Amino acid sequence: MSAPARYVFAVARDLQVAELAGTHGFHGATIDVVEHEGLSAVVCDVDLEEFGEEPLTRNLEDLAWVERVARTHNEVVWMVAAVSTCAPLRLVTVCADDDSVRAKVDSLRSDLEDVLDRIEGRQEWSVKVLVPQRPVAESPRATPAASGADYLRRKREASDRRRDLTEEAVDAAREVHEVAHDHAVASRRLMPQDPRLTGRTETMVLNAAYLVEAQEHEAFTAALHAAGEQHPLVTVEVEGPWPAYSFAVLG
Amino acid sequence: MSERTVSPMRSAGAAPDRPAYGPAPSNLADVLERVLDKGIVIAGDIQVNLLDIELLTVKIRLLVVSVDKAAELGIDWWRTDPMLSSEARDRELADENERLRARLRELEAAPAESGQ
Repeated sequence: MSAPARYVFAVARDLQVAELAGTHGFHGATIDVVEHEGLSAVVCDVDLEEFGEEPLTRNLEDLAWVERVARTHNEVVWMVAAVSTCAPLRLVTVCADDDSVRAKVDSLRSDLEDVLDRIEGRQEWSVKVLVPQRPVAESPRATPAASGADYLRRKREASDRRRDLTEEAVDAAREVHEVAHDHAVASRRLMPQDPRLTGRTETMVLNAAYLVEAQEHEAFTAALHAAGEQHPLVTVEVEGPWPAYSFAVLG
Repeated sequence: MSERTVSPMRSAGAAPDRPAYGPAPSNLADVLERVLDKGIVIAGDIQVNLLDIELLTVKIRLLVVSVDKAAELGIDWWRTDPMLSSEARDRELADENERLRARLRELEAAPAESGQ
């Protein structure tokens, strides 16, 4: 390996390095912890031939590379979050060496402490509301339109049915969000995911993240299950607990 | 300092104050929207153009799961998207040639038909 640098996955509190045994970084690299006044930066060596400025610009264009790095980054964050209070860093944060990692942690120290205070004992849950893509039901007698006026009336009815379906889905999404929000300490709406990326045919009408007290998670999931039953038209998907990515933001 | 005692069982979900984490999402969209768009931003020594990252999140809208998994799931629209694959571009050219040939045949046949 030429010119190793340090890739930083997360900043954690109350972390014991021994608990990360068996976790590896990129290309099987050992996970190390850089300690700085009670904060632990979780790092591994990376090669500048892969993670240097110029290669990185190129590699970020390679979606297979991005997927590999994103999944490894995520796996390490997952392990760290399981054994500490963990603030994940954004993908591809690369420092020259451990001294540089310490200097950066030091300069953001109070902000990092604020973030860790905010997420301590809490976890992120993902809630999505999806509407199945089903064709708008035709009127029972599918006879040809008797007249131009009849044709227009049918067109209007079909359009009304579509609008009703959409309105009901939007109402359901709003209600699910309100229920989740009431059981959470913070919430963030995310962009609905592209069906081409998820490979799903349903339309996503809600994609949101909720920060939930660890001991409240059963009440949270139960409330959402109940909300889902109120709206048979839509599918409510609740996933978690996840590390608090969406709430580990500075400022 | 916290008085929390550290137990190797914690990762197995034994901690009373913290339920075990769920499985990491297999849905790449879930992973990417968090690792690219969320989390702490610390400027490292390696300059990553944030614009690149933002552009990437846009580009990712064009990405289906992983290439292998996509093929496995039968998702292959990108194979026929002329923006994304040279194979598709070649096919588009072939299709266009075929359309032009068909049109030519029509035009060549037209005078004969009108003459009958």
